[in-house]
Amino acid sequence: MIDSLHAGSFFFHPALLFFIGACILPFLKGWARNIFLIVLPLSSLALVMFLGYGMHWQVQVAGVEITFGRVDRLSLVFSHIFCLMAVIGSLYGMHLKENWQHMAAWGYVGSALGCTLAGDYLSLFLFWEGLMVTSVCLVWLRGTEEALKAGFRYVLVHTFGGLCLLCGIFILYYKTGDITFGPMVSGVPVAAWLIMIGFLLNAAVPPLHAWLPDAYGSASIVGSVFMCAYTTKTAVYTLARVFAGYDILIPLGVAMALYGVVYAVLENDARRLLSYHIISQVGYMVAGVGIGTEMAINGACAHAYAHILYKSLLFMGVGSVIHVTGKSKFSELGGLWKYLPWTFVFTLIGGLSISAFPFFSGFVSKSMVIAGAWNDHLKWAALLLTMASAGTFLHTGLKVPYFIWFNREEPPFEPPKKEAPWNMLAAMAIGSYFCIMLGCNPQFLYNMLPYPVHYHPYTATHIMESYQILFFTMFGFFLLLGKLKPKPLVGLDVDWFYRRGAVHFMRFCRNVPAAIDNGVVTRLHATVALPMLRLCSRISSWHDTRVVDGFVDGMAANVLKLSRNIRYIAQPGSLSKYLAGMLTFLAATVLAAVALALY
Amino acid sequence: MIVRFIAWLRSHMLFVKIACYIFLAGLLIGDLFIPRHHAHFIGDVIPGFWAAFGFIACVLIIIVSKWLGTAFLFRPDTYYTDVESSEGEMK
Repeated sequence: MIDSLHAGSFFFHPALLFFIGACILPFLKGWARNIFLIVLPLSSLALVMFLGYGMHWQVQVAGVEITFGRVDRLSLVFSHIFCLMAVIGSLYGMHLKENWQHMAAWGYVGSALGCTLAGDYLSLFLFWEGLMVTSVCLVWLRGTEEALKAGFRYVLVHTFGGLCLLCGIFILYYKTGDITFGPMVSGVPVAAWLIMIGFLLNAAVPPLHAWLPDAYGSASIVGSVFMCAYTTKTAVYTLARVFAGYDILIPLGVAMALYGVVYAVLENDARRLLSYHIISQVGYMVAGVGIGTEMAINGACAHAYAHILYKSLLFMGVGSVIHVTGKSKFSELGGLWKYLPWTFVFTLIGGLSISAFPFFSGFVSKSMVIAGAWNDHLKWAALLLTMASAGTFLHTGLKVPYFIWFNREEPPFEPPKKEAPWNMLAAMAIGSYFCIMLGCNPQFLYNMLPYPVHYHPYTATHIMESYQILFFTMFGFFLLLGKLKPKPLVGLDVDWFYRRGAVHFMRFCRNVPAAIDNGVVTRLHATVALPMLRLCSRISSWHDTRVVDGFVDGMAANVLKLSRNIRYIAQPGSLSKYLAGMLTFLAATVLAAVALALY
Repeated sequence: MIVRFIAWLRSHMLFVKIACYIFLAGLLIGDLFIPRHHAHFIGDVIPGFWAAFGFIACVLIIIVSKWLGTAFLFRPDTYYTDVESSEGEMK
């Protein structure tokens, strides 16, 4: 049924729709603007449903073929969820009076769609950088000093990743003459590594991940809802396109899944905790791509689809709390169940979905990746991923709701009068609907996946296994609740190197090389170098006066003497001597002529 | 509606706790009757394995992370802002 919709050759780039929409938006006012905010993403969703399979919008630039529209099952499943997310996100931000965040967000969605539909590395790179530029606007639009700084760090880190990708593309083109964006060809290891580093940085694989909690924890409320959906999932898509079956991705993905869980324990800020769980969840997708079997790739795509929905739901829930209370730290929150009950219910649905509770969306997608690992006999990978999934429930399903809505009898601040605006609640309700719908009707999702699905999540064994893991995790949580009490602390992460490490480096530069320069080099100059120079100049001046001048003066004296002698002979200056000379010359000439004649 | 339901649960904490324990026990007992045709792994054969796995995983994650945190990683949450503002003054 899905394939028949895409059988034609119709194509219009959905990214273009978003870019045009972002330009029109500031000219609309009131209801027209609000309707436009919903209609444009909805129409992009409809557009994606009718795109024809194949390559579209190809242009030749300097002998290189650029493809803007490659439509196949892999790119469609990502395009579909990107457009659906744009609907939810735009509704969530509808209450904003100013349009800048919506314009940046639509530019961001358009860039993600551009990456997804790109058929060659050049257009991919173009939209890849577009993702970075538009998303940093979403960070800066928070308007705080902290967001400004986090935004600059975000730009620097992503510039590094983008340059790695670009270098890889150049080397690939130089070696093979081909820039088709597809499975990596063999024989170009340097290009493959550089391109992979570029992708892994956007997928937030440790140690290239610290930008994610840093930026998402400081972004604007609506901005973080958008950002949690697109950057990392675009990277997962590119990895699935190029590096499917690369074994290195399996340990990286498993390590990621656990890394995020460990850091989530240490985190006190709700959005940063959710950010660490993005890292953890993307770990499942990266591992799925690394396993590379049809089932695992399906699992990675399905998990990306489900993840975007539940993670944005969680960010929307926490965002609403921040919108209403202005606080995001667990140590400053608590006791909100009486005041924000709907936000609680929606966030809990997000939490249950990410934790893979049966009948919620995470269950039907995450288990595909783990089943892919079991089927490929990767016992350790499967067990560690299952363990990370217990940790996910521990934090996102239990810690986040417990410490925001319970923990205290009353909130430690003036309780909010009413819940978040209606549009925020409506967006969360739509997100919740999709989380539960995908969980109860996984076929909706499975029909869209790149390969045919032969997987049934709802077996008695699997449901039993999941319930046991989840409820005994919950048991452990309440047993160790005292250990989890939030404290106003931060956990050091790799961003230490460029946040604090760079400061230490600057201090080092000031204290060591600069001190050496001032103390040692300056003193050496005064005590050693200058006297040496003086000595040299004295020697050279002695040499100048005694040797060079003596030689020159002697020469001059001799020349004077010689010329005086010559003058004495040649120009004596008395008339008698001239006459005598002339007569002698004359006599000699006559004598010579006579002698010649006689001869 | 939700608020009243939560308030009711909170005022009957003992009942909720007992219900949870009964549910946990029910899961363990129920596991004895689950068909085990497609076992990938030894854990799929032992009843209650995944319950123990979930519990141990949870405890391990909390304890190991907390240990990492207190031993190496924790800093006051003004750690970065302090140094950034002091650097600003130095310029």
